[in-house]
Amino acid sequence: MLELLDAWLLAPFDYGFMKRAFVAGLALSLAAPPLGVFLMLRGMSLIGDAMAHAILPGVALGFLFAGFSLPMMSLGGILSGLLVAVLAGSVSQMTGHREDSAMASFFLISLAAGVMLVSLGGSSVDLTHVLFGSILAVNTTALVLIAAISSLIVVILAVIFRALVVECLDPLFLRGQGVHGGLVHGAFLGLVVLNLTAGFQTLGTLMAVGLMMLPATTARFWSKRLEGLIGIAVGIAMVASTGGLLLSYHLSLPSGPAIILLAGAAYLLSALLGRHHSLRERLQRRAAPLGAPESH
Amino acid sequence: MSRLQLHDLQLARGGRTILEHLDGRFMDGAITALIGANGAGKSTLISAIMGMLAPVAGSVECQVPRERRAWLPQQLALDLTFPMSVEELIMTGTWPSHGALKGYCAAHYRRGREIMARLGISHLAHRQLGELSGGQRQRALLGRTLMQEAELLLLDEPFANVDIETVDVLMDVLRDMARQGVTIVVVLHDMEQLSRLADDVLFLAGGHGRWVSPDSLLDRYAGQPPRAPRLPLTFPDALDAGTA
Repeated sequence: MLELLDAWLLAPFDYGFMKRAFVAGLALSLAAPPLGVFLMLRGMSLIGDAMAHAILPGVALGFLFAGFSLPMMSLGGILSGLLVAVLAGSVSQMTGHREDSAMASFFLISLAAGVMLVSLGGSSVDLTHVLFGSILAVNTTALVLIAAISSLIVVILAVIFRALVVECLDPLFLRGQGVHGGLVHGAFLGLVVLNLTAGFQTLGTLMAVGLMMLPATTARFWSKRLEGLIGIAVGIAMVASTGGLLLSYHLSLPSGPAIILLAGAAYLLSALLGRHHSLRERLQRRAAPLGAPESH
Repeated sequence: MSRLQLHDLQLARGGRTILEHLDGRFMDGAITALIGANGAGKSTLISAIMGMLAPVAGSVECQVPRERRAWLPQQLALDLTFPMSVEELIMTGTWPSHGALKGYCAAHYRRGREIMARLGISHLAHRQLGELSGGQRQRALLGRTLMQEAELLLLDEPFANVDIETVDVLMDVLRDMARQGVTIVVVLHDMEQLSRLADDVLFLAGGHGRWVSPDSLLDRYAGQPPRAPRLPLTFPDALDAGTA
């Protein structure tokens, strides 16, 4: 029995590429889900998707100029992601259109531009790699970059945490205190872009959003408190990225989709069985008598 | 004394003038009711006092530092689905002294508990805002302004969708605050509430403001049944000039 467990769970990590992929997955799992929780709570769950498309042309440009250099591709991704976020913000401010319509327009333009750039400079294999990533090809440089970006995100998030919470609940209170809400919002979107660029190497630009949003939306079925949401989301992300990695190793599956599908399975299961707002809770719900202790 | 004065103030939104030639002073330690029909410019004036809307002409002279100006928004302006407990909300009132980074110490938690006890919401400390009734939420929001140690408090229809008991508690607390010298401006729609609370009235209509005394308003509408008191929507002729 123990031997079987060892063969299934531990032996794969004897390989260097599995170790690196494992650590990269854990680092991303620390940084991405908290951002996803905030995106979800602000009703911006789809913005992550939009931003993921927005980093693509930058990644492609980096790829065109420097080949498969992760730092260059990441830098390009960050720049184009931030550019699109700023452009979408200012277009919506200037025209009075809602920010999501401006964002939708820009991310579609970016996606097309990105795909065009990659096809001009490379093969369809490269395109697949950029879009869907390859966690098994994480080298030491990539790992250091991912760990550094993830740490940076966690630190900055800790610094702006209280402001972000207050801004979500009551933006006018923050403004009354002389803090420009746009600044907090902008910093937060910046973190989302950073995180997606860290994630694209391992999961690809499109899949990186999955590790951000799915754990967050899953946690919603288990907790009503902010700390609970973040903790559970991080836990789910860690289990999904490790489990997905093992699955992909043993069954020769592509790693990115395996990780995200595992997180997706957690989501579906939680929607059925979770503590709050799940199908099970809905069927079993009885009104508690007055004076009964609170269940939290 | 008056820390808050308006000087020939003109306010506009989206290129349309909402209020003009607004003068007067809000008394320290007094509760001034702001009345008028929907769209008369009550919220616009409050935004200007909070410094969120720049005047087209004239000025708002406010000697209260920005972080000591508190405002109790209409509940609709808040995202109440956001997971936050009553205690956490009240603790955010420490922003003027703590900002985004400083940790809360035991003394502040103690102060928070005192505030919750004063407002009768101690038992709700760990409840999420989304689970509260309108009245309970309003108490929690007022708790945040108490934590803020506000010197100027602006309230936008604080008694809308709130139970009678909460109205009593809130009015008591507001009276206490005024007694301690806080300048309070409150948007009201209800004559009964006005009679209980207001020391002074600024009445907005047709783009202008007029200061009236609560008594002259009450005298004029004394004949109405007490629980169906409609405040006037246009300037009646016979209102006496107020105290300002």
